Order: sequence, then structure tokens, then C-alpha cells
Amino acid sequence: MSISRRKFLGWLAAAGLSTSVTRTARAATTQHFTGYPDSVGVLFDNTRCIGCRKCEAGCNKVNELAAPDQPFDDLAVLDNQRRTSARSYTVVNRYDQVNYLKGPLYRKIQCNHCLEPACASACFVRAFAKSKIGAVTYDETVCVGCRYCMIACPFEIPTYEYDNAITPRVMKCTLCYPRISKGLLPGCVESCPTEALTYAKREDLLQIARERIRRFPQRYVDHIYGEHEMGGTSWLYLSAVPFRQIGMREDLGVTPAPELTAGALSGVPIVVGMWPVLLTGIYAISKRKEKLASEEKELAVTTAVEQAEAAAEAKLAEALAQADEEKKKAIDIEVQKALEEAARPETEEAEKSETEEDS
Amino acid sequence: MEKGKSGLRGAGIFVTVAMISILSMGLGVRGVPPSSDDADKVRADMITIDYLKTFGKLERPAVVFLHDKHTAALEKQNKDCTTCHLSENNRLGPKFKRLKDTHKTEVMDIFHTQCIACHRETAANEEKSGPVSCGDCHKEEITIRSSRQPMGMDKSLHYRHAKAHDNKCEKCHHEYNEQTQKLYYQQGKEGTCRYCHGKTTEEKKVSMRLAAHLSCIDCHRKTLEKNQSAGPVDCSGCHELQEQKMIEVVQKVPRIKRNQPDIVFVKKIGSVDEISNPKTQARMKAVPFSHVAHEDYNDSCRVCHHADLNACASCHTLTGSKEGEQIKLEQAMHNLNAEQSCLGCHQINQQEKQCAGCHASLEQRRKRGEETCLTCHMTALNENTGNTSRADEKALAAKLLDSRVAVTASYKDADVPEKVVIDGLMNQYKAVDLPHRKIVHTLAGNIKDNKLANYFHSDVGTICQGCHHNSPLSTQPPKCASCHGRPFDPDQPLRPGLMAAYHSQCMECHKEMGIKKPVATDCSGCHKEK
Amino acid sequence: MSEDTAATGKSYFTPFNIIAGLIVIMGLVLTVIRFTGGLAATTNLSDYNPWGLWIGFDLLVGVALASGGYVTSAAVYLFGMKKYHSALRPAILTGFLGYALVVLALHYDVGRPLRLPYPFLVQQGTTSLLFEVGACVALYLTVLFVEFTPVPLEWLGFKRARNLVVKLTLLLTIFGVVLSTLHQSSLGALFLIAPSKLHPLWYSPYLPVYFFVSSIIAGLSMVIFESTLSGRFFKHKMDETHLAEKDTIALGFGKAASFVLAGYFIVKVIGISAGNNWHFLQTGYGAWFLVELLGFVALPCFLYAVGVRDKNVTLIKWTAVWTVLGVVINRFNVSMIAFNWHLPASERYFPHWMEIGISVFIVTVGLIIFKFIVNRMPILYEHPDYKSAH
Repeated sequence: MSISRRKFLGWLAAAGLSTSVTRTARAATTQHFTGYPDSVGVLFDNTRCIGCRKCEAGCNKVNELAAPDQPFDDLAVLDNQRRTSARSYTVVNRYDQVNYLKGPLYRKIQCNHCLEPACASACFVRAFAKSKIGAVTYDETVCVGCRYCMIACPFEIPTYEYDNAITPRVMKCTLCYPRISKGLLPGCVESCPTEALTYAKREDLLQIARERIRRFPQRYVDHIYGEHEMGGTSWLYLSAVPFRQIGMREDLGVTPAPELTAGALSGVPIVVGMWPVLLTGIYAISKRKEKLASEEKELAVTTAVEQAEAAAEAKLAEALAQADEEKKKAIDIEVQKALEEAARPETEEAEKSETEEDS
Repeated sequence: MEKGKSGLRGAGIFVTVAMISILSMGLGVRGVPPSSDDADKVRADMITIDYLKTFGKLERPAVVFLHDKHTAALEKQNKDCTTCHLSENNRLGPKFKRLKDTHKTEVMDIFHTQCIACHRETAANEEKSGPVSCGDCHKEEITIRSSRQPMGMDKSLHYRHAKAHDNKCEKCHHEYNEQTQKLYYQQGKEGTCRYCHGKTTEEKKVSMRLAAHLSCIDCHRKTLEKNQSAGPVDCSGCHELQEQKMIEVVQKVPRIKRNQPDIVFVKKIGSVDEISNPKTQARMKAVPFSHVAHEDYNDSCRVCHHADLNACASCHTLTGSKEGEQIKLEQAMHNLNAEQSCLGCHQINQQEKQCAGCHASLEQRRKRGEETCLTCHMTALNENTGNTSRADEKALAAKLLDSRVAVTASYKDADVPEKVVIDGLMNQYKAVDLPHRKIVHTLAGNIKDNKLANYFHSDVGTICQGCHHNSPLSTQPPKCASCHGRPFDPDQPLRPGLMAAYHSQCMECHKEMGIKKPVATDCSGCHKEK
Repeated sequence: MSEDTAATGKSYFTPFNIIAGLIVIMGLVLTVIRFTGGLAATTNLSDYNPWGLWIGFDLLVGVALASGGYVTSAAVYLFGMKKYHSALRPAILTGFLGYALVVLALHYDVGRPLRLPYPFLVQQGTTSLLFEVGACVALYLTVLFVEFTPVPLEWLGFKRARNLVVKLTLLLTIFGVVLSTLHQSSLGALFLIAPSKLHPLWYSPYLPVYFFVSSIIAGLSMVIFESTLSGRFFKHKMDETHLAEKDTIALGFGKAASFVLAGYFIVKVIGISAGNNWHFLQTGYGAWFLVELLGFVALPCFLYAVGVRDKNVTLIKWTAVWTVLGVVINRFNVSMIAFNWHLPASERYFPHWMEIGISVFIVTVGLIIFKFIVNRMPILYEHPDYKSAH
């Protein structure tokens, strides 16, 4: 495989130019995204939640979702643990016997609007985006329906319209993005009668949460869930009991999801760059080996042939010489024989004439 | 034939593949085992046998032993405690079939041979018996939870015990002589066992747990043998919550006589010179303290007298001392986190139902006005210099206590509106007809006999501040809407909006007071729908 | 079976055709149900289990088993092992069909299949490993297609076109290995984003390495397996060279597979050590992991070695089947069995019979096309016009 110098330089230049088109990729860095400045969040305080489900009703109304099987004021629904579904962006679960002194505790489940969302990192058409205001939005016009976002989300939030044959969508809380962009409150926050949901800038919410813990240390577990989990979320939680008792995972760690795959992704350009070099090298080496092998073979063949020829010739000469000698010997014998032959009739004739004379 | 064989082989492969796939899926579908939070067994008699810990790391998981189960089973066989417990010093020892933990293999063998032998015997008699194989006792996963509640003497129990022993204190109370290494009784020095017997067993002092079991249970057992009524001998009798509730409580226990004062000053203890010398005297006014009243308020002495039965200030000096572990008098009296401090105990009292309605929403460590100090710190003793006898001091203390106002002051009914119509935020619901006077009367009535409450609510209108907060005392407190408006005001991040202010004010109080009706989620219970 | 058709040229109702036909009919019916009833009507997928058999089997297993293509081309063209030349075309065909069917299967699984080109044409989610997978699979399918075109071109007699394509072989091979490395490893890397959902024995930062190495193993074993099946069902199509080289291929690829399996075993153990997950081996999932590791990695490694040493081609053939099964089990484990291991049994996933039906349908379609091509085009024999001087 030969290539002209000009061509080679041309390819190199093209490759170099292409690298300038991409944005900076950061795999393992010391940088940590703490949210867009002035981005909002919601603080859920389960010491204030009374499990009335008005937030579910508000969300349903504001997002024009399908009506549920049981009405929102049916509190028997809380007897079962539920999760988000294609018809409900948010659900409230009841946890009995965790705070037995004062009664059951409740938890509202919805998208946590992570600072570095796993769904946005996982989506291969960038259908999810972390907006500057803080909401993680979903663009249904590009979604292909691969559902990788549902695999990626550590909180198991996104749901899918499996029933819909033609235009299924991923369904999840939008933080009422259109409403908050207009300065309105999210539907759930507006509906909550006890302000168990507080809506403010995320940095302010952290202050508020810390202040509540400071003022009433006996009321709260000293931890704001979502401050650091999975790199930080916009939805924060305060609880009267350890979070695992209200069904929230405490083992998710603080690494944001995109960092989990950054390592693997950073390997891609290395493979693209180095593999062709490696493989071409292997090819070149094996080709060279082949060439050397065939040359050696040829040399061996020629040498063998020569040797064979020489040996053959020597044998031939020997044979010829021997044949000559034998021929000579044969001639000699023949001559001798002929001479003897010639000599014998003379004597025979002489004897014969003698006998004839006698009669 | 070739085709047939290949067909069969193909079928065999297919079946194997199918089976493996199904099995593997089935394994996956198994899910997670139930968490130990759903333990189906909660018992008070759960003992963990891990005594070999003293000899090094355990090779096998510790064994869960249910004591009451065994005593009940042995009772059925007409066997008693001596089946397992050996006698020592005329008392049954606490260990199983031994008096000492001698050597690792010896102890292990005792458990193994004795336990398993008995189990085998019982099983041979066709009765329900215990495990005989290793893994059935040394279980990896323990599904039984201990529900053992701590147990202790209180006034009522002590009275009943004293009566049973004809007030012979020496039956239980003893002191220890280091030199002679003997126990003896010293009158006037009786105190709780816990003053000497602590959490762990020491050289010559067993732990409280051992001491209690050795003394109490032994005495109960012996008394029961004499066919007299006595306390429990099984675990659940003392440690099971339900059984504890069934222990007879004597309501009016006569005062234990231990030379304690009736009314006294809480003050720095020192000589007359120290008290009168401006350099060493206490600067804060002294606090008159009714010891006799506080004896009534508490179930036992050790709530306050956590180390001995002397005055607090004997260890907790003004500037701290070694005996008091450098905890100064101020901290000993004011620490909000300790039950034995004055304020700490008063704080806990605020958690009572009738107080918590208001007090749960008040920040515990809020800055209080200096006047509140004077509720307790009433007089400077250095005024009374010279030869003040103890008796005189006590009389002064009593006089001061009497002078303290102990009445929750409320406004007259005429000033307290009967009904308040809350109509500021009508959207989906009609106005709320709040039975205002009824609430005020209930709140006042709840605490009218509570001296602690009354001392601090003696200013008129104080209890109104439970709802009408963050404003001066008045018969015309500002409307809620004067301060509470739109929610999530960034300038007032901790102030709820009006709707939440209304709702949480009522709902939190109801929750803390344990009021069942109206239910918080029953909206129309408070305001009718439009 | 097919010998009848070839010999008599008559009866189309051979056992294979009947069964395949029934499966195809079922598949078509299920396809209609899928696109009228949606995923809810044809799958047991749920919000907790968004990926099921169609991803676990059709995508993950399909891509792994189609890797014979790049492995064989690398062996023959890059490493210069000419004696495996006859394995090339079957491997490329298997690879090409495999990837094409993966794309077909994706049309069933994805919610809006008509939007599958979106990541390339509309908006690129370059932070996503799925984008990586999609781009590389699409490119590699193209590469395989081009690598395959000499076959139909020979069949159709387009000499010049054919010769032109053959000139690109080396370039395509290198490109193919690069792309294969990327997408095989990225399929494993897909699960890196969900450490809280995948059992610690299967989750590792080395997942991309595991998937890549096991794809090589799968490729080697699939070539042996496919050559076994072709040897039984398409013997009449094989020319002398193919028949002669069959056993060489089995021995050679078996030896390679043994080595790679040994390496795979070692990196898997390193993975457990790196995560300090030894204690999980004592659990139920640990036992299953050991079945996978010891029974389907260590055992075939050993059996391949024995087969190569004793020149026991039968043993190698059966080990190849076993190894392929092991790769299937591994992909099932990562995507369905060890995935969501923390959920209660009521929320776990088992495929709907219709999902299984569609997967069987897709495999059958592949077999039908394979049979069609092998019977007519120069896969198992060399076209007389293009006898290569190999």
C-alpha cells in the first residue's frame, strides 16, 4: 500500500482541522458543577406534609394529564407504595411506623431535576436538557423512544407511554417549566396547603433548610437530601427520620452520572487515533514476515536446485566415465575373443586337412 | 438415521438452552430477601451468647438465646433455675453452668455439650426442642429483634419494696470498704445502685445489669419459693413494655426520708466568708428551689441526682471542679440537652401534649429576654451577710417562692372574641368560623394546675403569643395577614405565606397535642367547600 | 433437508421451510400487533424495566455474536493467516446479517422507529454512549455491507465493480476493527451509568473491556459453530478448499479462543478484586456469577485447549456451542438478571411470549436469508472466475 507524500500531508491536515471542530471534552476533572446561578429548586419538608395529595391534583390539572383511576382525595390509595407513572408525574407515598410517636410520614416523589442529570447524559438525541432556570426539560419532538434515560436515572423517575403505539413519550415532572419561566409557581407547590414544598433559588433553599435544622434540631435529621447526592439535585428534602426509612436510597454517592461514563467516552478518540496505527503496523509486520518467508523459501529452493543439479552432474560424469571404462573393457574382451576365434579355425582347418590327406 | 440423531441432538440442545435460560431468568426474578425491618419476632428475652469474645475473634456467628422460652419449657418439666445456674455465695450465678469464664474450649464445650444434650433429651421425650446442629444456633441472619426496655426503680416500686422489707434499708443498700474489701451498711448514705454499679463490670464491682439480676431476681425467686408474692423472675416480666405497664403503681408515695431539705436556695456553696467576700461571691441572684415539690414531679431521685445525693453545687462549683468534670454551676443548671439540669428538664416538660401545641414551634435555643432569668434568680444572697443560719436562709427561700405569681394570666372573656371569622383567602372554600374563645379556654385550662407553666405565663397575654406571635402582647394583636402574604418571599425566606401560615399554625398544634379531630386532610372539616 | 430441494428442484415444503414459514407468519402477525397495540400489548416492559429481551437478546447478544466478521478479517488480512481464508465470507455474511437484523430488531423495540435516524441527522447527543453505539453500528453495517458486496457482484457478473471493491479490503478491515472495538465496548459501557441498578459482581468500570473481549470470544466461537452447521447442512455447496480448511479453522480458532478466554477470566477476577466484591460470591447471585465465570469461561477455555492439543474437532465444536451460550448468558445477566437485582420480586422482568416470538422470528428471517445466499452465491465456494491465488 503506497501513498504519495502529498496525499499523506493532505489527510493529516484534514484530520487536524477536524479536531478543532469539537468542543472541549472533560473526563476526570476537579471541576464540579454547582448549578446555574439563580437556578431554582424546591424544598420538600416531610415534617409539614400531611399526605393530602393536593400536589398530585395540582400537577395533574396544570399539566393536563389523564384523570387517575381513583380521585385525588381518596387517601386509601396511600395504603400502597406507588411510583411515578405515565399518568402521574408525581405521587405521594405514606410510611407508617417510622415516626410512631407522631404518626405516619409522607414523601412526594417526582423528578429531582439533578444538576448533572443522568437522563440528559444518556440521551443520544439530546432530548433532555438542564435549563438555566433549573428544570430538566424533555423535548418530545426528537425523542426516539430508546428509553436509555429510564435505565440511567438513579431515582427511577422517567416513565414511558407503553400504551401509545404511534407517539409514545417519556413522561416526567417538568418543574412546570413553562409556568416558572413566566414567574408562576409550579403546580404542586401552589397547591400545597402547608408549604411542605418551598420554591426558591436553590442556593436560598439550602440556607432555608440549614436554618430549619439549626432552629429545630430535634425535629430533623441533620442532612439535606439532594445537596450532594448524584452531584446535587434541584429538589431537596428534609426529613424527620433517616431517609432510607422513607424509601430514599442513601447509597447513590455524590458522583454525578455523566462522570460515570466520561471515562469510557474518553477512550473513543484514543481508539480512533491509535487503532489504525496499531493495525496497520500489524499488517505491515505480517506482510513483511510473509515477504521474508517467501524470499527465504525461494533462496532455499534455488540453493536446493543448484545443489541437486551439481550432484546430478557429478553423478552423470561418474556414470559416463564408468560406462567408458566398461566399454573399453568390453572392446578388449571382444578383441580378445575375436583373436581367439580367428586363431581357432586355423588350427581346426589344419587338423581337418590332415585327416583328409590320409584317405 | 443420521438425520434422526442430529434431530435428537438438536432437540437436546434446545431443551438445555431453554432450561438454562428459564432457570437463569427465574433466579433473577427472585428479587431481594426481605429486610430485617420486617422481623416477625420481637422479644424482650433475647440474649446474645458471644462470651467467647473475650478470648478473641468469634469463629461462628453469635447465638441468639431466648431465655423466657427456656424457663417456660423447663417449668413444664418441673425444673427450675438451678438446672442451668450454679450457686455462688448463696445466690445463683448469672452464667450458664459455670461460675467463671475459664478457657475458650472449656466454655465452648460447656455450651455445646450441655445445650445440645438437653435438646436431644427433650426431643427424645417427643417434645418441642431446640436445635442440635451448628447452623441452627449459629445463624448468619438474625431475624429476631430485641424489644427489651430498660428497667429501674422508681418511687412507687421503691416504696413497695421498702414496705415488703419493713423499711429495713440494709437489705439492699450497702457501701463498700476498700480496705477490708467488705460490704457494709451505712445509714444516711443510701442511694441508687447506679452510683457505684455502672455499665461495665469492673474489678470488684459488677455492672448494674449483673447487680440487678443477681440481687433482684434472686430475692424474687427466693420469695416466690416461700409462696409469697414477689416481683418477676423472667425477662419479659421486667423488660417487656406491656408488662412494665402492668406493674402496680402507687400514686401517693410517702416521701422517702433521707434528710433532704424542703425548700432551699440553689447557690454557690461556700463558707460565710466566701459568700460575703465580693471577690468570691456569686454575682447572679440566688434561686429559691422547692425540693419537696420537685420530689413530687419526678419518679426517682436520680433524674436530678445523677451522681450522688448531695447538692448539685457541691460538685458543680461556680468555676468548675474535678469532681464535677469541670462542668460549671451555670451549665449544670441551664444545659438544655441534659435531663438533670433545670432548664433541660423544663424543656422536656414542654414536650407534654398540653404544652407542645405552642412550644413545638418555638425555637428551643431562641434568645430570651433577660427578665426571664429573674423568674428564677430572685434575690442576691450577699445582701444577707453576716451570720445567716441555714434555717434563716431556708425560710427566706420559702418566702420568696410564695411571693412568686403562679397563675396563667388571661384576658377577660369580654376581651377574647368568641368566634373569629377567617375570610382573608377565600378561593375554593368558604370562610372559617374559628371557635376562638373555646380554644383559649382549653389552652388555659390545660395548664392551670401546672406551676412551671404558670410561672412563665404570668404576664397577661403570654399564652396568646402561641398563635399571635412575633408581636407585642395586646388584646388587639395584628392580623395574620399583616405579616404573612405571598409565599416564598426571598426577603423573608423563613416566613410562610398566608395560606400556609393559617394551615400550619392550626395543623401543627393539633398534631403536637394529639388532637384527632379535625383531621388535617379533611378540608371541609374546617371550612366548607364553595 | 435442503438437499431435496437442490436435487429434485421440486417440493418447497421441506421441514425447515414449513417451520420457518410458520414462524414468519407468526412474526408478521406479532409485528402488526406491535405497531397497533404499542409496546404494552406485546411486551412485559415496565417503568422499572425499560429494556427487556429485545435489547438483551436482539441487540446485545446479536451484536456480540455477529463479531465473527471483524475477528476473521483481522486474522486473515491483518495477521496474515491465509489458512483461514475460507472462513472469511461466511463470517462476513453472518456479521452483515447479524447487524442488519439488530437494526431490524431495534425498529421493534424503540418507541418511535421512524426517528431512528434522528441522532445522526437532527440532534447529536454526544455525551451518550448509546450515540456512540448507534454511530459505530451504523458505520460498521456500512462497512460490512461493502465487504459483502463482492459476493453478489460475483454472482451477478459485475467484474469491474467487484475488483474495485476488493481493492478496498484492507482499509475496510482496519476501519471495521476500529468500529467494532468501539461499539462492542460501548455496549458494555451503556451500563456504567447505572451502578445503583446492576449487581456489583457484574458492574465494574471495566465493563467496556469485558464486552469487547467477550465479543472476540463470541466471534471466534460463532465462526466455528457456523462452520459446523454449514458443514452439516450446506456440505454440497462447499468446494474442496472449504472442505479441507474446515478442520484447520476449528483448530486454529479454538486455540485463539482458549487464549482469549484465559485473558477474559483473568480480567474478570481483577474486576472483582478491584471492587472488593469477594463477599458477594457467597450469595445466591454470587453462585450464579460463579456458574457464569467457571462454567462458561474457565471450562470452555480448558476444553478448547484440550481439543486443540488432541486435535479433537468434535470437542472444539461442542465447546464453541457452549461458549456462545456463555456469552448469551453474560449479556442476559448484565441486561436483565443482575439488572434491577435490588427490586422486589413483584417488579422483576420476564419476557412476554410475544417478545420471544419476535426474537425467534428475527433469527428465523436471518436463517432464511442466510440459506438463500449460501445456496446461490459464492460463500462456501469460490466463483470460478475469481479463483484467488491464495
